Amino acid sequence: MKKDNIFIVIPVYNEGSIVGSVIDEIKKAGYEKIILVDDGSKDNTLEVQEKEIVFLRHYINRGKGAATKTGFEAVKLLGAKILVTMDGDGQHDAGDIEKLVRPIVEEECDVVLGTRKFTVGEVPRIKILYNFVGNFFTWFFYGLWVTDSQSGFRAYSKKAIDVIDTKTDRYEYDSEVIREIKKYNLKFKEIPIKVRYTTYSKSKASKQGFLNGIKTVFKMLISS
Amino acid sequence: MTITNYNFYQIAIAAISILIIFSRGLKVLEGEKGQTFSKFFLTVFVWLGVLIFALFPDFAQQISKLLGLGDNLNTLIFLVFVVIFLILFKIMNIIEKLESHISEIVREEALKELKDKSDR
Repeated sequence: MKKDNIFIVIPVYNEGSIVGSVIDEIKKAGYEKIILVDDGSKDNTLEVQEKEIVFLRHYINRGKGAATKTGFEAVKLLGAKILVTMDGDGQHDAGDIEKLVRPIVEEECDVVLGTRKFTVGEVPRIKILYNFVGNFFTWFFYGLWVTDSQSGFRAYSKKAIDVIDTKTDRYEYDSEVIREIKKYNLKFKEIPIKVRYTTYSKSKASKQGFLNGIKTVFKMLISS
Repeated sequence: MTITNYNFYQIAIAAISILIIFSRGLKVLEGEKGQTFSKFFLTVFVWLGVLIFALFPDFAQQISKLLGLGDNLNTLIFLVFVVIFLILFKIMNIIEKLESHISEIVREEALKELKDKSDR
């Protein structure tokens, strides 16, 4: 599989302690075209500029959705054929990129959604609940049921890159992409991915509480 | 019923309501920037409500009966909550649009170098 036209977009906010190793892992998997969108971090994220990547910086924090959209705009300028988005906190395994990209290379679909396995015992219960609520509201507002509406590990074809136009800035972005899939009748596939629930990623997830969930639903209501 | 049947405050509120609806309607007709039909509709909804309740206080009682609520004060409070919710929704919508514009500016700045390179 030719990897020159595959761009990996990583939106990050204060992930300086881990994002360097995420980049190394992606490069080790054979992907050199990496776009890191620093969403106004206040830690040492800037230091990763030394690695050979495209480093873009939001001078103020605008949210994961806004940062990912900046990545989308960047790949349009750079002429990418395939775009993969993944989180910068080390949750995702770069080894899964190939699995996500393959259906697009083989022209089976336009969007591949990386789907986490939600098994009680392996995944924190609160994450399982958040995911179900997220899936429900995504279906309710946008009319498409998917098994993991909040996954950030996704791959997009050139067609999808060109048509997807999101408006929301924060976590509601992931659901908005589902709306765009429905709106433009894009073919999509769900592929299981590995997720590493490290102490670091768990501590980050706890910041997304109940109130943020309500805000996200409200923003979905406005944008629907 | 003549104008003498009304208290001063009822006439004053009615006059203010009519003035506001009239001036907003003019702005929409003139196509003033930022004036949309939905904004005009919201203004008419709120101020027409104020006008009706000011001139016909018994109207609240009739709505109370229709909705199965207690006395007319409860209905008034209920309707005020509905209006507050609508206004809140509108404000949130405006904030969301502003946030979106800020993100656009931040994005333009982040992509500036890349755009310059691709233009060359």
